[in-house]
Amino acid sequence: MFEQGMLLLVGEAFLETLFMTLVSTFFAYVIGLPLGMLLVVSDKDGIYPIVSLNKIFGVIINFIRSVPFLILLVAIMPITKIVVGTIIGPKAASLALLVAAGPFVARLVESSLKEVDKGVVEAAQSMGASPFQIMTKVLLPEATPSLLLGFAIAVTTILGYSAMAGICGAGGLGAIAINYGYYRGDKEIMYVMVVLLVLIVQVFQELGTRISRHSDKRM
Amino acid sequence: MEEKEAMIQLRGVCKRFPQKKDTIEVLHNIDLDIYKGEIFGIIGLSGAGKSTLVRCINLLERPTTGQVFLDGVELTSLGEKELRAQRHSMGMIFQQFHLLMQKTALENVMFPMKISGVPKAKAQERAKELLELVGLSERMLSYPAQLSGGQKQRVAIARALATEPKVLLCDEATSALDPNTTAGVLSLLKDINERLGITIIVITHEMSVIQKICSRVAILDGGDIAEIGSVEEIFRSPKTQVGRELVFHDGEKKEAYVGHVPYCYRTVFKGDSANEPILGNMMIEYGAPVNILSGNTRNIKGGVFGQMILQFPEDAEVRGKMIQYLRDRKVEVEEVEYV
Repeated sequence: MFEQGMLLLVGEAFLETLFMTLVSTFFAYVIGLPLGMLLVVSDKDGIYPIVSLNKIFGVIINFIRSVPFLILLVAIMPITKIVVGTIIGPKAASLALLVAAGPFVARLVESSLKEVDKGVVEAAQSMGASPFQIMTKVLLPEATPSLLLGFAIAVTTILGYSAMAGICGAGGLGAIAINYGYYRGDKEIMYVMVVLLVLIVQVFQELGTRISRHSDKRM
Repeated sequence: MEEKEAMIQLRGVCKRFPQKKDTIEVLHNIDLDIYKGEIFGIIGLSGAGKSTLVRCINLLERPTTGQVFLDGVELTSLGEKELRAQRHSMGMIFQQFHLLMQKTALENVMFPMKISGVPKAKAQERAKELLELVGLSERMLSYPAQLSGGQKQRVAIARALATEPKVLLCDEATSALDPNTTAGVLSLLKDINERLGITIIVITHEMSVIQKICSRVAILDGGDIAEIGSVEEIFRSPKTQVGRELVFHDGEKKEAYVGHVPYCYRTVFKGDSANEPILGNMMIEYGAPVNILSGNTRNIKGGVFGQMILQFPEDAEVRGKMIQYLRDRKVEVEEVEYV
């Protein structure tokens, strides 16, 4: 169906997409994990309530989360220009990916940590555990299966973002789908890209679900 | 009662929870002494403030006003860090166990030691001993989800004992367990109290739990201590309405009962008077029947007690004589308003 040059292009784009997704996810967690923990800890029913701080971060996160990714990508271009030096290419797109994915991951982490039974936290407090010990020795270990499920969701969502980032020349499968499929009207290539993206999502989701289930000792 | 050294002292403890419009006061000015080495029961109907009271002892809830002392140390004056250190000497178990679900029984028991900085090898050794003490050494590597309710509570007890506490707080520890398992857990608590000399505080809504293991009991009603005394005293002659409800009907709603019936008396027979057919002899002697409305037998620390609610004859003279007859035979007789 494809000539060899096209196959090479697709192979390269596939790796680009994987790379972009995983690196962005990694940095999204570098930001999102502590932010999510902070949201849980500082909550009014949390283990170290700081309600004003919690409110401020909550509003900022909601603000970013409510902007569709494609709009965000364009909207922060002036900032991207200053920080990255250019508004096109994978580097430029990765900043937008980070800005969008960080708060998203923070919410995922927050909801996982909040699933932990309040009674277990109370029990740890009754033993004299400090807020830091409760976070590291109770909340994170107890929430691990849920955090892993959240990770799978994060990867697949960021994969979707990275495909959208193809519009600003970020490369990857999304860029091929847009450049060849959309701009040139080559539907065949577009469908192949869609199938490939779907496959990646399936693999990550299935992997995440399995690892999560395997790590969960509640059943 | 002889002078005893206090382990826990509450002085003027109030707890108010701010609501949207006003505040709700859950505990009013509680004064309470719990002695070293005793098993002390706190009983009350739901909503009486029992759980709040026990949480005020280890300051999971800070009292709004008042002082809490643990073995002479005023907990209410301590900062967070010192308070955490003091909490190592108070274990607590819960109705829903609250075990770490992602950790094995052994890791759960090691957990409080990990928190207080005990070296891992030592913690593991002690955790194994404790699991043996509660009879679970062969389930050491099981996760909580693989254990039954009773086994989970045993793990929780071992965990609570890990830091060698002076006090063990039990918040409705048997309320989620079936009667057989409850009996097992209660006798384990009693055993721990006797063997290790740990002061135990039991919160419950079931009189039967108090009867099985407690030496003294406080009845909590609407945020006040309605009655306090030895379990035997409270059982033989509860002085308050709520006390009677708990003792007569084990806290069940009295609406389910007959209602007001005239000439009703509650009689309490001690175990040794059971050999003589006192009631039968009394009815033959005075030639008048009495109506037995309810009766049961309870096992209390001091021995076996039988209680009966009797309706005596209308004739005041015969009634008086009958009551005197019973009192002469060391049967406690007390008029009751409802059945």
